[in-house]
Amino acid sequence: MTEEQKTVAKSPGSNRWVGQSVARKEEARLLRGQGKFVDDYRLQGTLHVKFVRSAYAHARIASIDVEQARNAPGVAVVLTGAEVAKLVQPFIEIGPDPGGKILDYPMAVDKVHFQGEPVAAVVAESIEAAEDAAELARVDYESLPAVVDAEEALTDGSVLHPSSGTNLVWQGEFEYGDVDGAFSKAAHVIEIDRLHFHRFSSTPLENNVVIAQWDASDNQIYFWCNNSFPAFAIQFLSPALGVGIDQIHFQSHDIGGSFGIKITNYPYMAVCALASRACGGRPVKWVETRTEHMTASAHGNERTFRDTRVALDGDGVITAIESRHIDDCGAYPRYEPLGCIIWAQVLPGAYRVQNMRIHFSQAVTNKCPVGPNRGYSRMQHLWFLERVIDICGHRLGIPADEMRLRNYIKSSEMPYTTPNGCVYDSGDYAAMQRIAKDLIGWDEWQSKIAEARRQGRLIGIGIGTTLDSGTNNFGQSQIINPRAPYSGQSEGANVKLDIYGEIVVSIGSVPQGQGHETTAAQVVADVLNVHPDMVKVRPGFDTDRNVHTGHSGTYASQFAVTGLSAVHGAAAKLKSELSRLASFALGANEDDLEFGVGTQGPEVKDNKSGKSINYWGLANLVNVNNAGLPPDLDVTLNCRYVYRAPFKVPDIQRKYGNLTLTYAAQLHIAVIEIDRETYIPKILGYVAVDDCGRVVNPAIVRGQVFGATAHGIGAALYEDCRYDEAGNLLASTFSDYIPITALNMPRIRYGHLESPSPFSYNGAKGMGEGGAAPVHTVCAALQDALWSSGVIVKDSHNTADSVFRALSTLGLDRGQGLGARD
Amino acid sequence: MHPGPFRYHRAASLEEAAVMLQQLGEDARPLAGGQSLVPLMKLRLAGPTDLVDLAFVPGLSYVRHEDDGGEIRFGALTRHAEIADSGAAARFPILHDCAAGIGDVQVRNRGTIGGSVAEADPSGDWAPVLLTHVTEIRCVGPGGERTVALRDFILDAYTTALGPGELVREIVMRAPPHEDGERIGGAYIAAKRCAQVYATASAAVRLTLAGDVCRDVAIYLGAVALTPVEVTAAAEALRGRALTRETIEAAADAARSGGDPQPDMRGSAEYKCALATALVKRAIEIAARRARGEQVEVSHEYA
Ligand SMILES: Cc1cc2nc3c(=O)[nH]c(=O)nc-3n(C[C@H](O)[C@H](O)[C@H](O)COP(=O)(O)OP(=O)(O)OC[C@H]3O[C@@H](n4cnc5c(N)ncnc54)[C@H](O)[C@@H]3O)c2cc1C
Repeated sequence: MTEEQKTVAKSPGSNRWVGQSVARKEEARLLRGQGKFVDDYRLQGTLHVKFVRSAYAHARIASIDVEQARNAPGVAVVLTGAEVAKLVQPFIEIGPDPGGKILDYPMAVDKVHFQGEPVAAVVAESIEAAEDAAELARVDYESLPAVVDAEEALTDGSVLHPSSGTNLVWQGEFEYGDVDGAFSKAAHVIEIDRLHFHRFSSTPLENNVVIAQWDASDNQIYFWCNNSFPAFAIQFLSPALGVGIDQIHFQSHDIGGSFGIKITNYPYMAVCALASRACGGRPVKWVETRTEHMTASAHGNERTFRDTRVALDGDGVITAIESRHIDDCGAYPRYEPLGCIIWAQVLPGAYRVQNMRIHFSQAVTNKCPVGPNRGYSRMQHLWFLERVIDICGHRLGIPADEMRLRNYIKSSEMPYTTPNGCVYDSGDYAAMQRIAKDLIGWDEWQSKIAEARRQGRLIGIGIGTTLDSGTNNFGQSQIINPRAPYSGQSEGANVKLDIYGEIVVSIGSVPQGQGHETTAAQVVADVLNVHPDMVKVRPGFDTDRNVHTGHSGTYASQFAVTGLSAVHGAAAKLKSELSRLASFALGANEDDLEFGVGTQGPEVKDNKSGKSINYWGLANLVNVNNAGLPPDLDVTLNCRYVYRAPFKVPDIQRKYGNLTLTYAAQLHIAVIEIDRETYIPKILGYVAVDDCGRVVNPAIVRGQVFGATAHGIGAALYEDCRYDEAGNLLASTFSDYIPITALNMPRIRYGHLESPSPFSYNGAKGMGEGGAAPVHTVCAALQDALWSSGVIVKDSHNTADSVFRALSTLGLDRGQGLGARD
Repeated sequence: MHPGPFRYHRAASLEEAAVMLQQLGEDARPLAGGQSLVPLMKLRLAGPTDLVDLAFVPGLSYVRHEDDGGEIRFGALTRHAEIADSGAAARFPILHDCAAGIGDVQVRNRGTIGGSVAEADPSGDWAPVLLTHVTEIRCVGPGGERTVALRDFILDAYTTALGPGELVREIVMRAPPHEDGERIGGAYIAAKRCAQVYATASAAVRLTLAGDVCRDVAIYLGAVALTPVEVTAAAEALRGRALTRETIEAAADAARSGGDPQPDMRGSAEYKCALATALVKRAIEIAARRARGEQVEVSHEYA
């Protein structure tokens, strides 16, 4: 345990509401169709954008002719990428050189780098007019060879971005312990030539939507947008557009999911703002279509794991892992190369391995840029570790459960410091495994599987252990780029009594379905000893509420820690102001005051005299009836609190330090049978056990677990952003990209363990990303089913087709997907 | 995702629609359920100048079947969902297999059987099913009415024998000729990645059993070629033989090389061939059980 990780004092307030499945406040409007999404905003004089997009993955723009489009009926303005480039600075690159030299403009300037990249924006009175006119734009492309594989991008001599001169974005060596020593002492060394984590995305119900208005009268830019990390987006937009941060106003209300994919929609925000300015400040709206979303918003990171060597002792305990990881970030880095360090939050996964050497590099390719997709960067790495565990277990004849037990970090070792200085706050992976095995009926399955195999059936059971690290330390960005001006983590909240005594809460987060309004109300209700229905939480995000910090957003599994700590702090501040005020009003001693609900609503009562004053009376005293208030009674009843996570900047040289505050865990088990005739993998049984510390609202946590499980099963079996060799996305509609639906979902049994975090005031841990647990689990079960046939599961995405091809090409490792066992 | 400009017309009768279409020219299109045409228009892959909506033509939505089981007539505008719920589908489960498994609920509530055969999508579900029976398309055009056998109606992918302005009025499906005492059973199974996606491969089988012997049989594959494929070799492996595991497997095996599928996100060509084999085998087994009077519910394979 490093010194900065002090155990946090527990909340003094009551615990009546926190921990209950309080019904979600958001439900009433969402279920009635009364949610307010960006597309629902109808602003006077709104213009609509249609982007002209490249059909090529890689091409030079020889010429672009938008004259006809400009003259088409209803068209207000047409902006080409080259015109936009003259109006803006390129976006900031987070990484150092060489990736830092990449020029990223809101639209393609002289070259397109991925299919779907916007080359022009047609702005018109209606979306139909914009679409009609967009068809008139003539773009001549000189096609260039496309690079769709990250390894090739690093070796084939091609250069996608001449300004950087290389396809390498970032690389670094992560070495801890004595790797060579461990290999020289190893009882077994197991080698895995190639593993591959595929590209998939999140398919939120609501695509990206932007309304921008650049008001010339006060030179302010107003955005209504569903970006899920606006504090970050405006830091990118401000220098690009040449305006101060305070000139950018950002508002969201309801958001139909983001899963991190909407964090990088700021290039579109920039285009809409510029278009608005070009049109005299009229609002400009862009509503992304599903095909645009699939081809040109953001995909999750793809990663290849090369030349893996694993050292084990005679008991199957892993003593060292050495490997080369190549990440594919698509055409532009954008949020990258942060993914080059984020995975290190879970460097050893749930395992005790001390000696690790990982060479990590990231390349650009002619594919859609990536965005921090749910489970971001950690899931790829955790999947890799789970494959390592399973392949080693099978090789050594150690069953999957036993193999993990021998390697898990033990609950008695918590808080546990990983070889790279991360501190796992709490957890008991062995106990989670026991719960999951009980729920699935592990022992019965073992005999059923043995019997089925005697009949020639292909059936297997697999375990996936995964960590959902939450509340990240932005200081890790300095490991990537020592000059990066980011560290720590914070969130802000405001709790106030309004003039008539209403309790009003504003939070800096950007909820997209996680129930923040509900859990924030639960926390405030406990602090003030009122009912959550008496707490009004403002929906959505608004810079003009002035509560947010530079880290504000909803990402990286953190609201339960950062958001609720901020809410708790603000509520406690308000409570102390109310206490001072009530003591004056009632002539009472603060120690004798009791907070609660009386016949006239929320109130503060003097237990000595029996007198009380309700919140209306208190708010009235400060706001509109304040003659006679003592000058030294300095209360506003409008309390902002910023929670700062207790982080230090990591040791950049050693790549060592605590990168995240909490570590929720997921342990899943699946039983899968592969039909011998259709090769369709069918999930026969599925269990999801989660541990996210103290649970604030069990129903919400369950919802997140089920959602993440569905997402992960989808990724493992259905969802695949596959490109052909020319860089054409083969899955640009829901006819080819298969988001999981109820028909494809197995029944999920749910189990739960609670290991409170010592590092959060409420013992909660962030959760919701699920670490792509099902991807690991489905692969593990498939591996178990296929091991005896000689197949190694080498890809995170497996379909009936890939199982068929693996089985029918046995003995010929085609180096893709499932491969034959070597 | 908005179609380009077009004019919208409503026809009061099919005859009127045919005349309108002829006069409006070759870029005018009839509109039925819109479940194939409208998505293409939204993607701007189709840009008709005029749409002639058939949905308001009275009397085009029905399923009629004589009780002797001989003949079933479908009005061109009959929605998939209505067919799935019809008495005919209860009586001929192969119709239920097909109609209840097309797309998702919205698609089945809007899409029509007439639109499906007119669209001639290589992966459409209706054509392989209807082809296992004796099916005719009754058409009406500017020049009057005619009847075309379905096997002559589908010419190629997305291409039918319909002339300019010509419309589908009715689909007539008959059980093939059979003797008293012979029993007919059919089954249709598709493998789909999920509800809203067309089949990766599908198999339609119609058997006529005399006792245990397969007196007659038709086997069609869907989604593995530009048009539905009749696998005669598979049928030959069964015709005149008792249905045993061996003969069924021989028939399924013969179906392997029947298709000429394209690789796509649904699967590689080799896989689709293997899948078709598996589906043929299952469909034969179910058709046989149904011919013997068993109630067998079929679900498509979703993966
Ligand atoms: C998400 C989705 C999933 C689908 N999945 C499947 C599936 O799994 N299996 C399947 O078989 N189908 C599927 N479909 C297609 C669906 O079955 C359509 O209903 C069908 O293809 C066309 O019927 P329609 O009534 O919608 O025709 P429309 O779309 O209105 O018309 C289709 C074509 O036929 C022409 N046309 C329509 N009616 C007539 C007529 N009476 N005479 C002459 N020409 C006519 C039109 O001009 C047009 O060219 C799916 C559709 C969608 C949107």
